[in-house]
Amino acid sequence: MNQASTSSAARTLRGRVWKFGDQVCGDDGIIEFAAVRDGFGKPFDVESLRQMCFRKLRPEFPSEVRPGDIVVGGANFAHHNHVEVSVALKASGISAVLVESCESGFIRRAMSQGLPVLLVPGITRVVEDGDVISVTPATGKIELADGRVIDSPPFSPQMVQIWEAGGLVNALAAEFAASRS
Amino acid sequence: MAASSGQTIAQKILARAAGRDTVAPGEYVNCVPDHVVTQEMVWPVHKRNLEKIGATKFARPEKAIIVIDHTPAAATGSPHAATHHMLRKLTREFGVENFYGPNTGLRHLVLVERGFARPGSLIFSDEGNIASIGAVGALNIPMSTDVLAPLLKDQHWVCVPKTVRIELVGSLPFGVTGRDLVQAIIRDHEQAGTFLQCCVEYGGPALAGLSLDDRQAILASTFHTGSDTAIMDVDQRALEYVEERANGRPYEVVRSDPDADYAAVLTYDLSQLTPMVTVPPTQSGAVDVAQVAGRRIDHAAIGSCANNRLEDLRAAAAILRGRRIAPHVTMYISPGSQNVYAAAAREGLLEVFAEAGATVLSPGCNTCWGYLGVLSGDDVSITTHQFNYQGRNGSTEAAVHLASPYTVAASAVAGEITDPRPLLAGRI
Repeated sequence: MNQASTSSAARTLRGRVWKFGDQVCGDDGIIEFAAVRDGFGKPFDVESLRQMCFRKLRPEFPSEVRPGDIVVGGANFAHHNHVEVSVALKASGISAVLVESCESGFIRRAMSQGLPVLLVPGITRVVEDGDVISVTPATGKIELADGRVIDSPPFSPQMVQIWEAGGLVNALAAEFAASRS
Repeated sequence: MAASSGQTIAQKILARAAGRDTVAPGEYVNCVPDHVVTQEMVWPVHKRNLEKIGATKFARPEKAIIVIDHTPAAATGSPHAATHHMLRKLTREFGVENFYGPNTGLRHLVLVERGFARPGSLIFSDEGNIASIGAVGALNIPMSTDVLAPLLKDQHWVCVPKTVRIELVGSLPFGVTGRDLVQAIIRDHEQAGTFLQCCVEYGGPALAGLSLDDRQAILASTFHTGSDTAIMDVDQRALEYVEERANGRPYEVVRSDPDADYAAVLTYDLSQLTPMVTVPPTQSGAVDVAQVAGRRIDHAAIGSCANNRLEDLRAAAAILRGRRIAPHVTMYISPGSQNVYAAAAREGLLEVFAEAGATVLSPGCNTCWGYLGVLSGDDVSITTHQFNYQGRNGSTEAAVHLASPYTVAASAVAGEITDPRPLLAGRI
């Protein structure tokens, strides 16, 4: 896991797109609700979450997803999502999620797991499944397969720090360790 | 967004907390909260995270409010007794004076009853339904397990919400409550996603006719539209409530600018509403009670952060006074706080419930999340709870309908879902 970044260098993610449509449910779409119900209060069963990620919608996803791939989702993407949804996406190797729209809670839970979710209205009209695109969370810049660049709201420096650290607990641990030394 | 446009209540509260003059919807900003409120259920996770982080103190322990509300009176074999024990110890060690043990009440009520939430306050919490504090002009920003961050650092990131304005006009017809209104709003907007990343700001001439309890019911359930949070204009009635509880602590009433930048402005005419029943398993399945009247029920419950305040118990008692619930129905009533419980006792409401055959539980979330009074098999239930998805109350085959305290109490008496208005005639 990376340590919290103290530099302002804007890291860019580059990956292959898995594109999904509108109104994809988080708890009972990206994953399956049983994982939330049966896992309540227990440590995450990360391998089980990885194996069920998107299997309802794209059965090939768990076996074919590659580290660094990017998910592009439609309107109200991942609605009704517990944190297990973010854990499943992260465990699958997804490096970023770009959506037409979503609940703020999804952005928050994903960020705490070190997974950037960016709001990019219009993204599903300009990106196709399999495209290779680049995302720079610190600036909100997205470079499409044809070289066009589009913008989304940039993350705050604190959010970039959490993402670079691989999640909130890592970021806080690094910060507290630094303050003790 | 043009930099010159006016600011909404939510923008103004967040701008102050971010040390800025203005903030724009969609912007990510760091904000300093006035309080951070959490419940006990996630504290075993928070404790593990504290150990991983190596933190042994909070940045501002006086801002922390920790409330045991989900698991009052932990039973034999329950893991929750250990959580209660851990929290008693941790709050002593961390110097958290605002620790409220079993049966104090729900965070939602503790915040307003004890004057923590006041006009203009920014509260970071662990639940969207705590937008109920918008009734006193306080802004709830719900967080996940990351609510630990503002406890440790006295700040955390917030995405500035857009604001949708809902103008309330007209007055509620006989037998109709704020709960019926919010169920209609959820029906109209949840699936469309109209309110995603929004603060729903309520106002309008009808507000004056709504009690503080009814206002909190509307705000507590607005989260189910998909909104981030909700708030209300502060009027004289709200100010009187605040003044009785502020105990000298400061506050500032915040109003939206006349040229505020709203994502949408909607109007709801209260006089057009009828008693609503939200049919499982979705939040958007609200229908007029007539459409489901006659469906036999096994279980009824009054409670949850939507409808566990004194007015809600009075509404249930107005139906139940001098009547018995149907022999095949089990009914639970969970007051929202010690204050509500005591007031209900003073007014004789507890006697009404006992004589009607209902079971009064201690103040807490209780039946709403399936901790007490759970369902089994294909039980059919009607409640004032917040959720109706399958499995929420103990059985994946059970059907949970959501409705106002009038409709729930009337259905308990009839033994089937029923329009409460005939049973209310001459009683309110």
